[in-house]
Amino acid sequence: MIAEQLLGNLTQGVVLGCVYGVATMGLSLIFGVLKVVNVGHGAFIMVGCFVSLFFFNTLGLNPFLAIPAAFLLGLGIGYLFYHSAIRRLLKAPELSTLLATFYMGVILQEVVKFIYGSEYRGFNWKVGSLSLGFTTLPMAKLYAAICSIAVALILYAWFRKTRAGTAMRAVVEDDEGARVCGVNVNGVYALSFALGIGLTVASGVMLAMFMPVGINPYMGAEYTLKAFVIAVLGGLASPYGAFFGGLIFGIIENGSYTFLAAIPGLEPFSMTRFLAFAMLLIILLIRPTGLLRSK
Amino acid sequence: MMRTLDKYVAIVPVLVVYLILFLVGQNVPGMWQLMATLLFYCAIGQAFNIFLGMTGYVDFGYVAFIGMGTYGMAVTVNTMAGSWLGGYTIFLGYIMTLVFAGLLSLAVGAVALRLRGAYFAIATIGVNEGLRFFIEGVGLWGGSEGIIFMPELNQVLGKEAASAMATYWADVLVIVIAVLAAVTTIAYMRSKIGYALTALREDEDAARVMGINVTKFKILAFMTSACFAGLVGATAWALKTPYVFPPEVFEIHYTIECIIIVMLGGAGTLLGPVVGGLIYGIGKYVLSVVFPGFQLLIFAPLIIIIIVAFPDGVVGGIRNKVAHTRLGRFIL
Repeated sequence: MIAEQLLGNLTQGVVLGCVYGVATMGLSLIFGVLKVVNVGHGAFIMVGCFVSLFFFNTLGLNPFLAIPAAFLLGLGIGYLFYHSAIRRLLKAPELSTLLATFYMGVILQEVVKFIYGSEYRGFNWKVGSLSLGFTTLPMAKLYAAICSIAVALILYAWFRKTRAGTAMRAVVEDDEGARVCGVNVNGVYALSFALGIGLTVASGVMLAMFMPVGINPYMGAEYTLKAFVIAVLGGLASPYGAFFGGLIFGIIENGSYTFLAAIPGLEPFSMTRFLAFAMLLIILLIRPTGLLRSK
Repeated sequence: MMRTLDKYVAIVPVLVVYLILFLVGQNVPGMWQLMATLLFYCAIGQAFNIFLGMTGYVDFGYVAFIGMGTYGMAVTVNTMAGSWLGGYTIFLGYIMTLVFAGLLSLAVGAVALRLRGAYFAIATIGVNEGLRFFIEGVGLWGGSEGIIFMPELNQVLGKEAASAMATYWADVLVIVIAVLAAVTTIAYMRSKIGYALTALREDEDAARVMGINVTKFKILAFMTSACFAGLVGATAWALKTPYVFPPEVFEIHYTIECIIIVMLGGAGTLLGPVVGGLIYGIGKYVLSVVFPGFQLLIFAPLIIIIIVAFPDGVVGGIRNKVAHTRLGRFIL
């Protein structure tokens, strides 16, 4: 019985983990290239959720069509925020960028609240579900996971095959060196920030498949913390690391639920969240380069 | 004698501001609550500045210490009400507040202070949420229900004294804490501790090579700052509104408020948190009166503009201008 439950939770964890992974790649990209910690991360995910809500409820379209739209919207927001504030703060102490990114998140929250109000929303995309025997998996979630993997693969290819992607990797390794070699480092900064935000907003569309009722302007805070745990699992500065970090996190979060629920006197939902925080501290301490890299 | 006085004269403007706020609140009808709020912001800024301003490390989970302080007082009053301690329960509550906040800061500091810069900020980002979910998850101190100790507080202080505490004395105690925090700040700044912290803020490796025990001084600043945060929580939250509710006392928004106050005024200056507290408090109040419901929509871009335009904060900017003039003695 417990084994079946565990298997079911782990499957759900893998599916959700793919989406978590994509939702964190933007955070790692921005930290890797600009060394800026985006503490408003969750708010950008929230914007993506609202984009998919808009596509499904208002336009009546397939919510996955919202992915490119959300990505472009995110790129625009990213460029806007980069040029209006982040660019001027790159040399300032961390304090400034931390506050600035947090308040960018607040601006988005307030704008969305202004348009949609603060009540909880959501949608249920009925496209059937897949029965695996031990658990049933709604197809919408499965599609979200597949899209996430596709986005991650496209990003991987883009990093490897294009000039801009190569330039970005060069800046992550050594920005002075890249500058000497003729890379337009400022352009790479702007592109990385915009791309990071674009990815994050797009991931919100996928995440919306997992919450039939939970979409709200203030939903982001929870995902900010999770994204940091995932980014740390993946080594903070690596977008691919972040994707695998997301998978691991999804598995641990859902898998541990089964065990924690079996212990009397514990509230398993809260404990999985506490576990996430404990993981963050432990990994930063014993393995700051992430679980995957052997450095 | 004159030399010693001269060293500490920079605290005068801080005390003058506190006195003015107190007198305005006392004498202008209807202003007490606003002044109390401003003093709360000043106090919490002053407390956070001891760590953030002096070391340059950004603690993103600072509200956890305010929350723990609140729990320290709440748990004590809740369990000790009706005992032989009577009104002295409040003193015991303050001691427990210091113990709670101190222990938490020791634990967090021992782990997180090994990390630097952005990594420290990321490590502390979940301290408040982690603690909240731990309390809710294992059902500690009432779990997600929190603690409501209005009846117990009435029993400890007497009904009238308890209501006077909520409307007046808690705010006065906040002023006392703010003054203590300011005194501690200048005492640190003017002693070996301050020099060591300045050295490590500018270049930690160099400071270590010079033989400064950076770990000791970082932990000291972290714990001092955390204990003051706990005291503010125990007073401005627990004694003023006698209940604790985990999502409320661990709300990340308060960490951000502390950071803004320190940043607006000027991190690492003595007068900075006071000026920052006033600007933030008054700004927030005015916007919520003029644009009710939309204050954040206007406040958020304003704050980003200020961060970009004044990276050293108001007092930091003024201090750089008047550093060697007669006025300069008063601005630290």
